[in-house]
Amino acid sequence: MSFRAISKRTVRTAAALAVAGLLAAGLAACSGSSGSQGSAQKGDLTWWGWTPDQAVAENAITEFNKKYPDIHITFKKIQDATYAAALRPALASSHGPDVFNLLVGGTGATVKTYGVDAVDLTPSMKKLRGADWKNGLFATGVKDFTVGGQLKAAPIGKVAAGMMWINLDLFNQFGLKPPKTLDEWKSVCKTFREHNVGCFREGVDPAGFEQDTLHTIANSVQPGFYEKAIAGKAKWSDPAMVQTLTIWKNLQSDGILDPGALGIQQYPDVNNAFLSGQVAMVQMGTWYRQYTRTDTLKAALQGAGVSDTSKMITMVPIPFPDVAGKGHTIAAFSDPDYALAVNKKSKHIAAAETFATWLGATKAGQQVIANNLDEDPVLAGITPDYGKVPLVNTKEQTPYLDWLSKYTSNVTEARLANISGTLDQALLDSASTTLGAKATPEQAAQTLQSQSGQ
Amino acid sequence: MTTAIPARRTRPGRSADGARAVNYVWLLPAFVVSVAVIYFCVGYTAWISLQDWDGISPDPMFIAFKNYARMFADPVFWDSLQHTVIFFVVAFVAQAVLGFVFAVLLHSKVRLAVVYKVIVFVPVVIAPATMAPIFRVMYTPTGQFNDLLGAVGLGFLKQAWLGQGNTALAVILSIAVWSGTGISFILYYAAIGQLDPEMIEAARLDGAGNVRILWSVIWPNLRGTTVAIAMLTAIGSLKLFDIPQLVTAGGPNYATEFLGTLIYRQSVPLNAVGYASALSMMLLVLAVAAAIILRATGRERSTTCLRPGACPRRSCCSWSPRSWCCRSCTRSWRWCRSRWRAPAGTTTRPCWRSPSCRSSSATARSSPSA
Repeated sequence: MSFRAISKRTVRTAAALAVAGLLAAGLAACSGSSGSQGSAQKGDLTWWGWTPDQAVAENAITEFNKKYPDIHITFKKIQDATYAAALRPALASSHGPDVFNLLVGGTGATVKTYGVDAVDLTPSMKKLRGADWKNGLFATGVKDFTVGGQLKAAPIGKVAAGMMWINLDLFNQFGLKPPKTLDEWKSVCKTFREHNVGCFREGVDPAGFEQDTLHTIANSVQPGFYEKAIAGKAKWSDPAMVQTLTIWKNLQSDGILDPGALGIQQYPDVNNAFLSGQVAMVQMGTWYRQYTRTDTLKAALQGAGVSDTSKMITMVPIPFPDVAGKGHTIAAFSDPDYALAVNKKSKHIAAAETFATWLGATKAGQQVIANNLDEDPVLAGITPDYGKVPLVNTKEQTPYLDWLSKYTSNVTEARLANISGTLDQALLDSASTTLGAKATPEQAAQTLQSQSGQ
Repeated sequence: MTTAIPARRTRPGRSADGARAVNYVWLLPAFVVSVAVIYFCVGYTAWISLQDWDGISPDPMFIAFKNYARMFADPVFWDSLQHTVIFFVVAFVAQAVLGFVFAVLLHSKVRLAVVYKVIVFVPVVIAPATMAPIFRVMYTPTGQFNDLLGAVGLGFLKQAWLGQGNTALAVILSIAVWSGTGISFILYYAAIGQLDPEMIEAARLDGAGNVRILWSVIWPNLRGTTVAIAMLTAIGSLKLFDIPQLVTAGGPNYATEFLGTLIYRQSVPLNAVGYASALSMMLLVLAVAAAIILRATGRERSTTCLRPGACPRRSCCSWSPRSWCCRSCTRSWRWCRSRWRAPAGTTTRPCWRSPSCRSSSATARSSPSA
């Protein structure tokens, strides 16, 4: 095979053109494009989030479309563990979601990091609710999602943790009562294990749910200590934390915590096991209330691969047992949960703002949030309309849900809002090294202090 | 005997420079793509590794080599390297042994051999994302693996396999070996198929049994394949991410943390993109170093022939100072021409002259035997 001779000049020209073309293509790809306002009443939007569940999101979209029929929204649920990994490149491109969830603290898609790609929603809020738009909205939520004076995301709901969720059917089946003390908890778990039923299951994984358990135990040991430690006003190496980690470790050795906590994940492992009736107790927050609804539980069970014909569990919230034996009232702790941000590069910024502010700051939107039961609304005066909520077992569940509403009504402690990514990882390390016998509670507390970044 | 290489012909009126220029034009697309896609990314990652950056903020801070200093002081980094070494050694030995055994067995007359081949190879094509949840369920305290142990009377071994550091790494290894053995099997199977049957026949005539043939004839001739598997496993170990991330997320207590999972942990959940980039640069350095070391130490060396003419395809039987040896024909003709010297008193033709080395071995039979 032979080729015709080409002059040096031709070669150089071809090379220059190829390089220039490549650079132009690269620059075009890198630069992306800026967004445009578009119509506030019309558009096709995509919404990404790790929460809510698909069925819950579709409820919200259906209600939204009753007022805005020309704004079509597609919700894409992404597992929380991989949400940030998916979101970052999407936002860097010009094909990212129009609306996306943001977190207030911890690890992952936090407003402090990802807020730079979000539109300031303050003008939209003013347009919707007037100059005093903050009145009536959850003040902590507005504050936490405001960065540099700009509202980077509209808080949608708030969640609280510090309670347990139990499978009441299993407790009734074995004639057991919800435990109130450590000894009662051991006894209950012993019975469950004798019948090959899991007792208290928890996954110690990077999602960080074990922090809720540590926080709750700490509130049982010394109310207020954990919050002070997060704020840097108390040392993590304090004896209160050592005792907290000791109790945490003993949950396993006392037969309360199911074996293998370090090898499973809260979602999907623990969640699926509890919803399918294999486990009697889990520690989840108020977001778990959504599964007291027949439709939401059914959808979640289908997602977990459980047969449609399986009996739906009667799950109810109970106070966390007094594990320290000091008789303290164990306070709940709360955060604004997710908030909706609008992508700066969206082609439908106005329509996206319409949806985010409708869901987060209108009575109609917040009533949907309240009735979905996965969040507490952030707009004052909105409560779930239980007449419209199909509960799995209304008679049994209603008293417990009423207790939960009271328990979480006056929460003062923050949950994850003030926890940095570094501290989040350090807390996970302390929980897992203690449970895995890699460190004593004293050593783990010392390490936690040194790695907390405080 | 050596043969002069004819000078390359050029067309009248065409300069050598012009011909070279044409060659460069054909190289250009691949060059541009590789520079843009690979080398630009490497350079960009190196630059980011000198920054304190969360991956999104528009104002990263230049901190020179602080990320590298942090890396060398990070015990999790050293743990991940240790896990990588353990993974490489165990995975390589297990996959090489299993792959070789399966390849040898399936080269013999086995009924339903095709079915066995499919069974051995299928795990290679199953996506880790598909199999990881299954393994996670299988190895839970209430999973099928513990059930199996109980069923065969080993109930005392039941435990939370993924919940303990020492067993979690073993589980990751078992999954990796299960999913990777098909590759080593297929490589060995193909390599054994390339061996000259005459060589094995010659060994039989010399009185070698099956085990002797396997150990002294077949296995040494698969050295190149073994080196290739070692190189693939080494690079795979350094890049390992999917299985530990999906099965254990690097836990418990970083017991299954590898460089890949550590980079992910720092980059995504912790938003420490600068530090993750420094780890990525270290991964690149280690991968290149591993490839160079394995290539240097694994260069195909001569293997003793049982007799002249017994060398496999693409190698020639030639006289070395002490014995007849099979030499690889994989070198370029330029290299052969510059290095090859006919041993005194032999008539062996250099492999670079033979389209098929078999022809060279035919001429070698007339030369002095060892």
